[in-house]
Order: sequence, then C-alpha cells, then structure tokens
Amino acid sequence: MANVSPVLSIVRDEPASAAIEVAGLTHVYDGRDGKVPALTDIAMTVGAGRFVVIVGPSGCGKTSLLMMMAGLRHQTSGTIRIQGRPIDNPDPERVGVVFQEASLFPWLTALDNIEFPLALRHAPKAERAERANQMLNLVGLQGFGARYPHELSGGMKQRVSIARGLVQDPPVLLMDEPFAALDEQTRMTMGHELLRIWSQTAKTVVFVTHSLTEAVYLADEVLVMSARPGRIIGRIAINLPRPRTYEMMATDIFGCLRDRIWQQIRKEG
Amino acid sequence: MTRFQLIAIRLLLLALVLTAWQVLPRNGIINPLLLPPFSDVLSTLWEILGRPQVHEAILVTSAEVIVAFVIAVPLGAAIGVLIAEHDYAGQIFKPLLFYVFSVPKSIFLPMFILIMGIGFQQKVAYAAFSTLFIVIMSATAAVESVRTDHVLVARSFGATRWQILTRVYVPSMMPILLETLRISMIFNFTGVMIAEMYASRTGLGYLIANWGENFQLPQLFAGVILLAVVAIAFNEAVRVLEHRVSAWRT
Repeated sequence: MANVSPVLSIVRDEPASAAIEVAGLTHVYDGRDGKVPALTDIAMTVGAGRFVVIVGPSGCGKTSLLMMMAGLRHQTSGTIRIQGRPIDNPDPERVGVVFQEASLFPWLTALDNIEFPLALRHAPKAERAERANQMLNLVGLQGFGARYPHELSGGMKQRVSIARGLVQDPPVLLMDEPFAALDEQTRMTMGHELLRIWSQTAKTVVFVTHSLTEAVYLADEVLVMSARPGRIIGRIAINLPRPRTYEMMATDIFGCLRDRIWQQIRKEG
Repeated sequence: MTRFQLIAIRLLLLALVLTAWQVLPRNGIINPLLLPPFSDVLSTLWEILGRPQVHEAILVTSAEVIVAFVIAVPLGAAIGVLIAEHDYAGQIFKPLLFYVFSVPKSIFLPMFILIMGIGFQQKVAYAAFSTLFIVIMSATAAVESVRTDHVLVARSFGATRWQILTRVYVPSMMPILLETLRISMIFNFTGVMIAEMYASRTGLGYLIANWGENFQLPQLFAGVILLAVVAIAFNEAVRVLEHRVSAWRT
C-alpha cells in the first residue's frame, strides 16, 4: 500500500472536456402545502471518462437530479448539458440509465432485456443479437442469456441491467443506487465488477448511493448533497490509485476519506 | 405425492360419487324419482344427444356464449383502460361502476326482454351486460399492475407512447387480462343460462328449465351433464390460451 498517497484536497480545476455540465439548476415542485423546493442552485461538471459519485441523505433529491440528467424529468430552472448539448428528453444515444431495482421486464429473457433498447430503434435482428451477446459477455453472464429474470440472482439482474444500459454504447452512464438492494458481499463484488466494466468501456459515470464505503471505493470524485432542499455542499477528490483493490478499504487513507464525507453530511444534518 | 397418485385419488373420488349416485337410488335409499340412478341418466343422455332439438340447442347456446364474449371482453377492457389511465374519468366513473357492479345483474333481465324480446339478441345483450362489469374492474386492476419503473426504463431508452403501450403495458397486463378472460367466461356463460332459463324457446338453458318443470328428471340430469361438459370445454379453451401466453411466470 506504499503507493497510496494521502490526498484530501478539494477539487478545483475541472477537466478540459466535460461530458456533463449542470448550471444554476433549481427544482420546485407542487406539494400539498404549496411550493416545495427540492433542489437549489446545483452546479457540477463531470469530465469525460470520470467516475463521479453523489451521496446525500434520503430525500435530498439526488435521484431527481439523476433523472433530470437522463431527460426523464424537467427542472424548474437551470441547464443540463450532456456531451455539449442540452438534454430535454431521454436520449439513449447519449445517456444510458441503470435503475435502483434492476427493473428488468419479467416477460423477456436476459438477452431480450438487453436487446430491448435496440428493438425500440428497430435495429436489425442479427445486429441486436450480436451486440447483446457482447454486452452479456462484458458483464460476465455468458451462458445466462436464455434465463428469465426470476431465474437470476439479485447481482445477476443488476449485471443484465448494466448490460442493457450500455448496449447502445452511450458515452454517459447514470446509475441510481443500483446495488442498494443487494447483500453486502454481492454489493462489494458488483462494485468491483462495475469498475472493471468501466475501465473497459471508458464511460462517464454518475453513480448515486447511500453507502460511503461504496462511494470512496468507486469514485474519482464524490459530491456530497445536503438534506432537502438539496444543494451540493462538498466535493471530495478520491485520488486512490486504480485499479482499486479490496485491501485499500482497510487503509488509513480510505478511512480518512470516508470520514471526511461523513463529517460533511453530519455538519449539515 | 406424485402426479400419478393425485390423479388416481381424484378418479377414485369421482368413482365413489358416481357409485353412490348409482347405488343409493337403486336401493331406494334416495327416491329415484328425485335422483334417477346414474346409469339411467347416462342412457337418457345418449338418447337426447340423438335429438335434432338438442343439437340446435347446443349450437344456439354456444353461439350466444361466443358472441357475447367477443362483445363484452374488448369493450370492457377498453373502458377499464380508459378509466384507469384518465384521472378525471376514473374519479367520476370508478365509484359508479363499483356500485353497479355490486347489484345482481339478473334484476335487469326483464328490461332486456321488454326492449329486445326473447331472441338471440336479447340473450347476447344480457350476457354481455352481465360480463361487462367484471371485465372493466379487472382491466382497471391490470393497468394499475403496470410498474412505473418499467415505464421509466422504456422512456429512458426513448420509447414512443405506442412502444410503451405495446411493449410495456400489454405484456405487463397480460397475466391479469388472461385471468379475466377465464372469469368473464364464467360470468358470460351464467348470463346466457339465466336468460335462457328465464324466457326462451331454444338453448340448453331452456331445455333444462323445461325438463325440470315437467318433472323429467333423467332428462334434466342428462342436460346438466351436457351443459357442464360444454362449460368446461369453454373454460379449458381459455385456460390453454392463458398457459401459452404466460410461460414466463413461475
């Protein structure tokens, strides 16, 4: 562990080419007792190929923020640019989404689930099958393509969901607490697998989670959000070397980083 | 317990009931005028199956059942989906339908007769009417069974409204819709029977009611067996379809 350098600096310089740029984003929704502010003045930039994790207390709006980046929800004001262009509606060419529950269609096999986005675009059958099989191999599920979701474990379902998110080769992958429903061991394995897939595909990833350990283990940079109305209250660079290993979790630097995030969250609460 | 044993036990039970049906009236333990022995019923069944009048009745009843089914199910499903998807329509119609649903449909039968007479149309109209509500309620439940996260997934991959309907709604709703088909068939068949027994000149329901009124009990029981076979055949036809479409379910 000699090469682990203690870096706890706040991120200042942004990478030259940004995959995601969020500026002045505010969201207010109509609640029972009038307007409820959900997100306040969010600004963030994610460089191409970076792995950014958003953490924050429940109900802070981190999922809403992710859904807005996916073009699935509309913010009250502010802009979101993905690959240099605003995103108003879902655009699978630019953004793939992996949801909290794997949300696979139970009436389709694993392979058909992965092909689903391609089928929507009426891609030729041969191309669909070839592409879906590549993805199945990428996520380590070769031989499981003909299984239905109810025949797969929780971890395997999320692997299929990741394969589905990547099948159209979008430069950006958004992940909304994808491993939250998994047991601790599976969760660790999946984190490791995700980093392997990420290093092989060079995607820009925004990953939302509750788990600080997961955040430090995965991220290049962790964004900390406050309780509602959600604001970004901290940016912490995770300069642990890659590839990450399980042993790193036992190091002081790992503990310091996690503690630092925890302090930020607690200070707010 | 193996499958074979289960089937053996079922057959044994059936044999037991039929034997009792045979033996008890024969020995006078049960009055054979009220319950004719099974063998008598069987021979009567064979005899009535040769009558052109019975052939006609089977055809008429089957036609009524099929036509009423083909009207009630798509219509009910369409209304149910509309109510479930439209907030306003749902708020207005759901409670009303719920109340009408709880009223026995047979009380409306005299009105159907007044308006339409006692022919084929009236049987079909009444049966479709008595089936419609269960289809509407089930279709509403089917729409509500569509998971919002599935819709969100489809939207995130750029699905159009039509694609969401055909690739998410329809397959999601399929299990409940298929179950609805089977239940509607039971309601539908019952509707046709009630209409035929109440006032009619043909059909299996008419024959059975007529035999009953004339105290022709062997014919009555033969008619019941015949009707049971027809009803089970319709039910099984729907079940086979159901099984084929929902192979993915555990």
